[in-house]
Amino acid sequence: MKDIVSKLHRAFNPRSVAVVGDKREMDYMWLRNLAHFQGKVYSVQIDEQELPGIEALRVKNYYRLLDIPDEVDYVIVAVPRAAAPQIIRDCIEKKVGGVMLFTSGFAETNTEEGIRLQQIITEMAKEAGLNLIGPNCMGIFNPRIGLLNAADQYYGDGGPVGFISQSGTYAIFFSLIGAAHGIKVSKSVSYGNAVVLDSTDYMEYLAEDEETKIIGMYIEGVKNGRRFFTSLREIAKRKPVLIWKGGMTEEGSRATATHTASLAESPLIWDAVIKQCGAIKVDSLDEMIDTIKALLYLKPTTGKRVGLAAMTGGQSVVITDTFAKAGLEVPLLTEKSYQKFATFFNIIGSSYRNPLDISSNLRSLDNITRCIDILNEDERIDSVVLELSLGLLTRRARSIGTSFDDLFEALAQRKDRYDKPFLVVLFSGPEESVATEVREMLMAKGLSSFPSFERGAKALNKVVEYYRFHRL
Amino acid sequence: MAAMVVAALYMENSRQLRDREGEKFMSVDEIIGTARKEGRSYLTELESKQILKEAGVNTTEIRLARSKEEAISLSKEIGFPVAMKIVSPDVLHKTDAGGVKLNLNSEQEVAKAFDDIISSIKQHEPKAKIDGVAVQNMARPGTEVIIGMHKDPQFGPVLMFGLGGILVEVLKDVSFRIVPLTKRDAQEMIREIKGYPILEGYRGQEPANIGVLEDLLLKVSDFVEQRPEMKELDINPIFAYSDGAVAVDARVILESD
Repeated sequence: MKDIVSKLHRAFNPRSVAVVGDKREMDYMWLRNLAHFQGKVYSVQIDEQELPGIEALRVKNYYRLLDIPDEVDYVIVAVPRAAAPQIIRDCIEKKVGGVMLFTSGFAETNTEEGIRLQQIITEMAKEAGLNLIGPNCMGIFNPRIGLLNAADQYYGDGGPVGFISQSGTYAIFFSLIGAAHGIKVSKSVSYGNAVVLDSTDYMEYLAEDEETKIIGMYIEGVKNGRRFFTSLREIAKRKPVLIWKGGMTEEGSRATATHTASLAESPLIWDAVIKQCGAIKVDSLDEMIDTIKALLYLKPTTGKRVGLAAMTGGQSVVITDTFAKAGLEVPLLTEKSYQKFATFFNIIGSSYRNPLDISSNLRSLDNITRCIDILNEDERIDSVVLELSLGLLTRRARSIGTSFDDLFEALAQRKDRYDKPFLVVLFSGPEESVATEVREMLMAKGLSSFPSFERGAKALNKVVEYYRFHRL
Repeated sequence: MAAMVVAALYMENSRQLRDREGEKFMSVDEIIGTARKEGRSYLTELESKQILKEAGVNTTEIRLARSKEEAISLSKEIGFPVAMKIVSPDVLHKTDAGGVKLNLNSEQEVAKAFDDIISSIKQHEPKAKIDGVAVQNMARPGTEVIIGMHKDPQFGPVLMFGLGGILVEVLKDVSFRIVPLTKRDAQEMIREIKGYPILEGYRGQEPANIGVLEDLLLKVSDFVEQRPEMKELDINPIFAYSDGAVAVDARVILESD
């Protein structure tokens, strides 16, 4: 598997990139995406009308890839499909490290011409051992060196999560939405029709990549399921692998055919594959992000017993139902814990059996923290969950003349000190517009929050199952 | 209960059953080779059970009798009660044609069953070529489970486990794992089905020995790995007991050459 590292290293960590066929019609998006690229950027364009626009971006243009005097590590191709074979031929001759075809219109169109052209480029690339990514994709995102799929992606700093996506949209969404939730990408790849390199190749590469600690995948189909299974089984022992399979319904598989020319596959078999390998199954981008967040921000536990603290009575009922439904347990606490509560807890309008309804104790920061400290100390509890209701927090802050800051600071300290996972659900209620800001305040203190009971509960249960499987 | 009895007696068209003298140990290669030579894409029940035995799977006994006397001596050898069934390539609906007799407890009953089967077939299907009558031991009824294997176009051989009868047919209460199975896979795929409490012995029924079933899954997984010539395998039903399990019927479909 080490071979895959030397095979794909240049493509994932290029020092020079050539963009073939960028044009005004696309607002020179590929060249613009490279505005912060740390290596050399070249353009290849034969259309004279496009040259002033490329010049304005201060990128040197060549008429052919082969005319570029230096080595080219990575090539971005945005030419019309009929020109693709010629570009692939040049890439082979130029001995590039990898080429990604943004160009689409191949087998996914289910037309004779599209299928024929796909066959031609596939055969050429395979025969020459060319690292062809796609076609019909967005290619590689490596934030540390400023190699982007979209101009609004971050650069300079990366994170620990490798993402492999058959869809370009989800590659970009994952990076952007993930970043808003405290999840940054090490390297990601959108790989479209996967005619030469497939998900297994990328997974094997990221498995060896030291920056990558967690691997997320959005897959519409695999070319060689057997190989995928064998690799996944081995890799999932070393790094958490999350799999989100698109096209799990008959209707959805019709869409994967026209999107990335992927064949229908049985959802039952995919479930078995994921379970058997000890990978983590997720069913949406939200679940992907939530579960990775739980892996990154919550301390590992194999225990299913949660201690729940909600800010009001109704929420205390619903949070309990939700966590129980997700597969977690909400046990009664020890007698020792109840004795501790009895010394300070205001029970008029509140309760502390587990779940806790701490509404009458909100005014005192000390009371809030004592509640969750007791949950953390209780031997019957494996994870501590606290609901932060934005409306109540705002009112509390206003009435006792304080900011959120004292509370958040106290929570952040506990997150570090507790030996158990400490999960915060930020319930925005009617104050959605403030939620983003508060989420960021929490994140600045190293506290990652979940936007609903459902999402927090599911994510926690998934990682507990993961740690149980691998007996961490 | 009726379903179990019918299943226990359900036997495939066993054209290639050998007579006692001709019956000899055949390797899995030979069995598959013979089927291929005869242009068959499937193994008979007898052949399927022979190769399963090679894989370490416990199966019911099934032998071919070409005469009434042979049927009697085979049934004594196998032990009463036995079931008998016409073996003919031309009789498709064996029960309808009077070609199946169950629960035969004595030599007299076996002799009569043999005559009844032959005369009934001659009456219903006068042109049918008759190879003989299969004699099979009646397995003691147990909890019915099934193990199947099919080849997924993407992931290759996949094992299926489920409870037999209507639970698999109507409720699709089955679990899947990709071959090769680990011990954990075998444990989980049994516990994963909704009907698992039935295997544990629901309402005083005899519980199934889960360890035996796990072992069975692992043996089948090993065997499937060693035998890529098999395209499909259907062991249905298996009777699961508190002290063991027995494959009552089995069918193998071969890959085309």
